[in-house]
Amino acid sequence: MKRPRLALRVVVLAYVGALIGVPLVFLFQQALLHGFGPFWSALHDPTMDHAILLTAKVAVVAVPLNVIFGVGASLWIVRHPSKLTRILDTVIDVPLAISPIIVGLVLELVYAQSGWFGAALAKIGLQVMFSYPGIVMASIFVSLPLVSRQVIPLLREVGNHQEQTASTLGAGPVRIFFTITMRSITWATAYGVSLTLARVIGEYGAVLIVSGNIALVTQTLTLDIGSNFDNFNNYQGFVGALLLALASIVLLLILGIARHRERTRNEYLA
Amino acid sequence: MSISLNGVTKYFGGDLVLDRVTDEVPQGSLTALLGPSGSGKSTLLRIIAGLEPLNEGYIELDGRDVTNVPARDRNIGFCFQDYAPFRQMTVFDNVAYGLRVQRVPKAQLKAEVEDLLDLVRLEAFADRYPRQLSGGQRQRMALARALAIKPSVLLLDEPFAALDAQVRAELRGWVRTLQRTLGITTILVTHDQSEAMEIADRLVVLNEGRIEQVGTPDSMYDKPANDFVQAFLGPITTLNGVAYRPHDIELCVPGLGTDATVTDVIRLGFEVRVVVENNGISSWVQLTHDEAQRLNPVVGEHVSLRARTGASVATPQP
Amino acid sequence: MRASALITRGTAKGLAITYLSLIILIPLAALVTNAFDKGLGSFWAAVTQQESIDALRLTLLCAAIASVVNAVAGFATAWVLVRDRFPGQAILNAIIDLPFALPTVVAGVTFYTLYGPLSPFHVNITGTWIGITVAIMFVTLPFTVRSVQPVLESLNFSAEAAAATLGASPVRVFRTITLPALMPAILTGTGLAFARAIGEYGSVVFISNNLPYRSEVASSYIYSLTTSDQTNSAAAVAVALLIIALLLLIFFNVTAQRLARRRA
Repeated sequence: MKRPRLALRVVVLAYVGALIGVPLVFLFQQALLHGFGPFWSALHDPTMDHAILLTAKVAVVAVPLNVIFGVGASLWIVRHPSKLTRILDTVIDVPLAISPIIVGLVLELVYAQSGWFGAALAKIGLQVMFSYPGIVMASIFVSLPLVSRQVIPLLREVGNHQEQTASTLGAGPVRIFFTITMRSITWATAYGVSLTLARVIGEYGAVLIVSGNIALVTQTLTLDIGSNFDNFNNYQGFVGALLLALASIVLLLILGIARHRERTRNEYLA
Repeated sequence: MSISLNGVTKYFGGDLVLDRVTDEVPQGSLTALLGPSGSGKSTLLRIIAGLEPLNEGYIELDGRDVTNVPARDRNIGFCFQDYAPFRQMTVFDNVAYGLRVQRVPKAQLKAEVEDLLDLVRLEAFADRYPRQLSGGQRQRMALARALAIKPSVLLLDEPFAALDAQVRAELRGWVRTLQRTLGITTILVTHDQSEAMEIADRLVVLNEGRIEQVGTPDSMYDKPANDFVQAFLGPITTLNGVAYRPHDIELCVPGLGTDATVTDVIRLGFEVRVVVENNGISSWVQLTHDEAQRLNPVVGEHVSLRARTGASVATPQP
Repeated sequence: MRASALITRGTAKGLAITYLSLIILIPLAALVTNAFDKGLGSFWAAVTQQESIDALRLTLLCAAIASVVNAVAGFATAWVLVRDRFPGQAILNAIIDLPFALPTVVAGVTFYTLYGPLSPFHVNITGTWIGITVAIMFVTLPFTVRSVQPVLESLNFSAEAAAATLGASPVRVFRTITLPALMPAILTGTGLAFARAIGEYGSVVFISNNLPYRSEVASSYIYSLTTSDQTNSAAAVAVALLIIALLLLIFFNVTAQRLARRRA
């Protein structure tokens, strides 16, 4: 039994190593090709600085909105089920199966000047397409299900007996939410937040369409990377790419810790 | 605090779950709500707690109508079958929860929680988490938590169901003693009739949402109001279409009653079960150890069965 | 319940529905309306343009190959993660999530440089179906691994042990007991991977070179239609792609459920 096990292990490690490991190492190598100094100054390129700032400004709005929506919708779906919540559950999962390009397209169809709401919004001075609000909306669209998909199964498994007990002990709905409900889904929510953040800072296709890719105005970091490569500034592109990769790795570590904590906290003898 | 249930009716969708349930639970009593699964007993308990609304009827606590009062204002202690521990809090914080809601000052809170933990013998576990406790310990923690708010009523939903036999027996007696000491009006839901008979002052037998009978364990066992109650509260042997308790049937020589053949004799120490068959129907008769020695039933022997004088049968009540 | 609580709950629900509508429901409605704006004939013409057909065919081909390869690879990886013990296993577990968390464009430019004209390995698979497939394999591996892994973890050994006592060889036990138990999870994971793969853009657009009719994937085609203001055609092809994704998901999930039900 030993040899097939060893063989499988080697094959899997080789596959994962070649598919994921090699590009990752290559990315580091390409960005740090000229050493740390040039890497650092490349990071301070004005176009890139603006892109980083814009990405951060989008994340700061999109992530909290989606977390509030995600947790709220999950509570609604699990604690007060109805025909409506079943539809809600399905609709929330829709973004998972939609290509980012299509996301950009549908937002443009509604919010561009020629779109359904575009003209009306322009009259009240709100420009959505080719501007910050549009990027935020696209980011919200693509990351919408990520929190709910973590929180819903956990809420179902935990059940509502703790919350009901707390109400017999005199606690009101707000206290119950913060002392019982939120505490039982902390790590699942943290997992969802990390995934959401990763998705928001990493979105490309949808933001490409919605923002118009205008350098120094509506170009997020991902668009900046793409634009650099289109203009053969490979090195600059790789610098930005490594920055995003490092951010993803940090988020991955948080994901790993959250998954581990989730398991030990809720490990339970029947 | 006394509890008054008046015509409590509950529907789930189109199904009638509780049908005009009416009862007066006296102050300081331990009442067992007894019935098979699906009889509505847990639902009734949750309605009394205010965790579920009722459709018709009303509920009074000490004469005060609480039908529209939310759970958190009813001052009721509730224990779920799964104990519903607050998993992310220590045992101490679990028990202290209700007191913190009432904003009890820190020093007093600490003293009261420690007293309760002593009472339930969990003083050494104050800083542990629920997942580190055994089933019986979690049960005691749930009780301490409910008692912390000094409830006027204690509601227990199948509190012993998830425990193994020995722990269950210990905990039963302990809860009974505790209840007698504290004098809290308590309602306990169970499907286990021997448990109910052992610790309850009064039984309420529910079937399909209706009360079948209310009374003390003894009176209900000896004078069941109908076949359902009789069959639910203890074993029965049917003779000529009438249900009797197996110990109310006499084993005689052939000819004095209904003829039957002994198919098995099971000795359970103090009790001996003689399994008999007549016309293809199998039932059993209970003899005491001495009776069995005297009569010495043997497999294959032909006997006859008749009811003893004064045998308890189902007597419909007015 | 108190009136204030009811009002708050109602407002919250209303807000949630408005949020969903503005961001998802109304835009999707606009998509469908726009696709059929000039009639069913026009929709069909846009979808059956040669460029469209070539793009859809290429996309489906690459996505299918990548999904099948990853169904096997994902299963093997989950197996090694759950049923094996070796140093560095935690690193393997963590690295599996990388394609999930990494921005697609980062993967895209890295693959382009690694396997393109500037490749240190002197390979050049840009503009080929191989290049596209490799990029999709990178992006979809986590899906199959993470759907099989939890099921494999919770599988108890008693069925397998029972089969062994009845004389079954390890291969037979695997084929008749273990694999059928995991099939629903494999199918669901593959379905998710496939649906994601046919819509993939960022990681694929660089290595594919986007030559119309030759190496253009569906999402690139829709993008070029969108930016050249042919919104009706773009919407039409988008609707076609979504229908394909929906059919795939339904097929895989229904098959998975059927298999699961048969065993329950």
